[in-house]
Amino acid sequence: MATISVTCTDEKAALVVLRNRERELSYLVDMVPSHIWRLTPAGEPIFFNRRMIEFLGMDAADFDKPGTSRLESIAEIAVHPDDAKQFNDVLSGCLVSGENFAMRYRLRRSDGVYRWMSSRAEPVRDENGRISQWYGLCHDIEDQMCADELMRRNERQLRQLIDAVPALIWSTTPDGRPTYLNKRYTEVTGATLDDLMGPDGSPAPLAVAHPEDRPAAAGLRARAFETGGPYAVRYRQLRRDGSYHWTDTRALPLRNDAGAILQWYGVSVDIDDLVKAQEALQQSEQRLQQLVETLPAMIYCATPDGEPIYRSQQLREFLGINLEDLGEPGASGLGSTLEAVIHPDDLTAVKQRYSHSLATGEPYAQRHRLRRFDGQYRWVETRAATMRNSDDQIVQWNGICLDIEDEVRAQEKLRSAQESLARASQAASLAELSASIAHEVNQPLAAVVANSHACYRWLSIEPANLQRAKTTVERIIRDANSAAEVVSRIRALFKQTVEPRMTTTISSVIAEARNLMTDEASRRRMRLEIDVDGELPPVAFDRVQVQQVLINLIRNGMDAMETVTGDRVVGLRARRVKDVIETEISDFGQGVTSPDKIFDPFFTTKRNGMGMGLAICRSIVESHGGRLWAQNRPQGATFIFTLPIEAKTK
Amino acid sequence: MTDDHIVFIVDDDIRLREALTELLEAHGMRATAYGSANEYMQAEKPDLPASLVLDVELPDINGLDLQKQFADGDHPPIIFITGHGDIPSSVRAIKDGAVDFLTKPFSESDLIEAVRVGLAQDRRGRSERAGMKRLRDRHSTLTPREREVLPLVVSGLLNKQAAAELGISEVTLQLHRRNVMQKMAADSLADLVRMAEKLQIQVTHSRRIEGEE
Repeated sequence: MATISVTCTDEKAALVVLRNRERELSYLVDMVPSHIWRLTPAGEPIFFNRRMIEFLGMDAADFDKPGTSRLESIAEIAVHPDDAKQFNDVLSGCLVSGENFAMRYRLRRSDGVYRWMSSRAEPVRDENGRISQWYGLCHDIEDQMCADELMRRNERQLRQLIDAVPALIWSTTPDGRPTYLNKRYTEVTGATLDDLMGPDGSPAPLAVAHPEDRPAAAGLRARAFETGGPYAVRYRQLRRDGSYHWTDTRALPLRNDAGAILQWYGVSVDIDDLVKAQEALQQSEQRLQQLVETLPAMIYCATPDGEPIYRSQQLREFLGINLEDLGEPGASGLGSTLEAVIHPDDLTAVKQRYSHSLATGEPYAQRHRLRRFDGQYRWVETRAATMRNSDDQIVQWNGICLDIEDEVRAQEKLRSAQESLARASQAASLAELSASIAHEVNQPLAAVVANSHACYRWLSIEPANLQRAKTTVERIIRDANSAAEVVSRIRALFKQTVEPRMTTTISSVIAEARNLMTDEASRRRMRLEIDVDGELPPVAFDRVQVQQVLINLIRNGMDAMETVTGDRVVGLRARRVKDVIETEISDFGQGVTSPDKIFDPFFTTKRNGMGMGLAICRSIVESHGGRLWAQNRPQGATFIFTLPIEAKTK
Repeated sequence: MTDDHIVFIVDDDIRLREALTELLEAHGMRATAYGSANEYMQAEKPDLPASLVLDVELPDINGLDLQKQFADGDHPPIIFITGHGDIPSSVRAIKDGAVDFLTKPFSESDLIEAVRVGLAQDRRGRSERAGMKRLRDRHSTLTPREREVLPLVVSGLLNKQAAAELGISEVTLQLHRRNVMQKMAADSLADLVRMAEKLQIQVTHSRRIEGEE
């Protein structure tokens, strides 16, 4: 363009063109959406384009300040304080070296807002190679920077999220090569990416699985990776401490738009507590089930309206039918269920009780006959109670059913045995009683007769032996009285006549009983031990009758110890307990097997016994207003009778 | 009271023991009483002619069963006493050798009579047993040859026959026969025959039969 020869008008025209071009150029420089600036070789800014002036709100000259260069002033005023030093350093370095300048920094806008700028500057050299000018370009990258920052922050958050999630997260290539493990994965399992690679470089993602679970997991994994379907597996996973925890692992593939798999993403969740709890629950349920099934009782459950929903094995075996055999629940109806298994004679009562319980929720208890699988009806005792939820609503009826057939039969047998025994003893009692009375009277009577003859002899001989005659007469009197006492005792027993009662002490009667029994005791190699409280008050009672009670109980104690090899002692103890005098007669025999029955008339454990002794003893004691009972000790039995102290005032 | 006998009483009722002892002593008899069968069995008893007054209903054993136990050896004759006697028991007791079976209360005369019978029985028994013992003692002094001669002699064989039987001379046989008579202290042949009977010596030959042939 400079080569054009010009005329004046041409010059004018050329000038106009040149001006136009210059204006155009200037306009371009000002309107480019970037900041353009120029520096002297020394680095003094000498031109800012309009956009830059508008951005800064100042032209280059406006930065002139006494004492500092314009560049320093710009760095101080317009560049963000955090970037200013670097800006100065880099730019001064470039000015010295002549290298291109490139830097990102924050620049202060006229409104005081700093915005990120990407700035570049290059030197222009003259024909001598000296730098004549620096031209710079600076454009606003604030929005881009923000987007980058946001992305970085998002990524960081995502990573934090991945690391913070209480799960092990991982990814693999489409062919299963592990590419990423989150931090927790390594923390928990102790395995790094390297650990999930085999020694030959092939992927070994199941290195953390329990050896026993590995084959099954590997199979599932291979199938998932082959088909691209979801991968879900449960196995025991290694922990850093060498233990294994049950883990639930799931993975899904990420595909591109064409559907090709780019990556697999997986997560493993520790479900050890859950599995353990489930196992424990299962075990406990199984134990309960076993308990219910093995209990020697028949157990069943029913809905709140009585439909059977569960029957234990024992019950199933007893009935020989399963719930399923009854068809659809409800279809058969409770009524027909009961009709099928309950004895027709008991059915009405059972139905009544059952519907009453169902209606009221009251516990159910009933004895009835239940049909066994073989058609035999057996007596059972059925009890059922409700199981309620927290709202106190009936959830279920739980019942137990015990086979009491043998018990019922035994009771029946016992009852009939008792009845026949009662009949037999009624028939036999009079004969036996008279025989017993005859014996009781005969003994002293025989002695009386023999003594009388002896006495007669002593008196008949020459000279008469008066001393011995006297002894025999004393014995005659004693034995005759003894016989008479037996007779009056029997009369008292049968006529229940009240004998005149003397006020005396129990200790004197016990002493008499001891004198009477000592001989028999030593003959049977037994001892009598007497322990009587010396302060006992006198009581009014029939001396003969109470003595009879004492002797009878002492003799019973001796009989009880007949076969005992150890200490054969009958203990007599009398003491005051409140308003009664309690006398205990204890032995070291086998004890009493039926403490309730032994006082019944004609109940006896002795081969030759009549079973009247204790019955008479009790009626004697009770006629005195006292009580007679028996109790067992660790060894032997104790018979205790009381005599009321107030009785003396009557 | 004499010391040539003793009466044992076994009864569990002391009143009866006293009374019976008294009665027997009043009759001049010596008596000792025991409260049970066991006590009686264990006791040291004098070796005298005796009777046993035994209660049937004893605390440790039934009197009839006790009698069975005695049956093997020497024992005093038994007089049973019982509170309620029944016929089968008494028959059984008498069959087994009891002197009597008395039901309480019994009369003095029945008891004393029975005790006396028992004592006499025992005396007789004892003297029989003593006689038997003497006989056995004498018999045991015979030589083997003399023991062969004895049954032949008591069979009534003539000396000649007996000698032939044994294959010895008549003179030698007569010598043995004299020795047998002396050693057995027999006054006559008849006496010796009685002794042989008691000793249950088998009579192997009969003179009459041989003589008739």
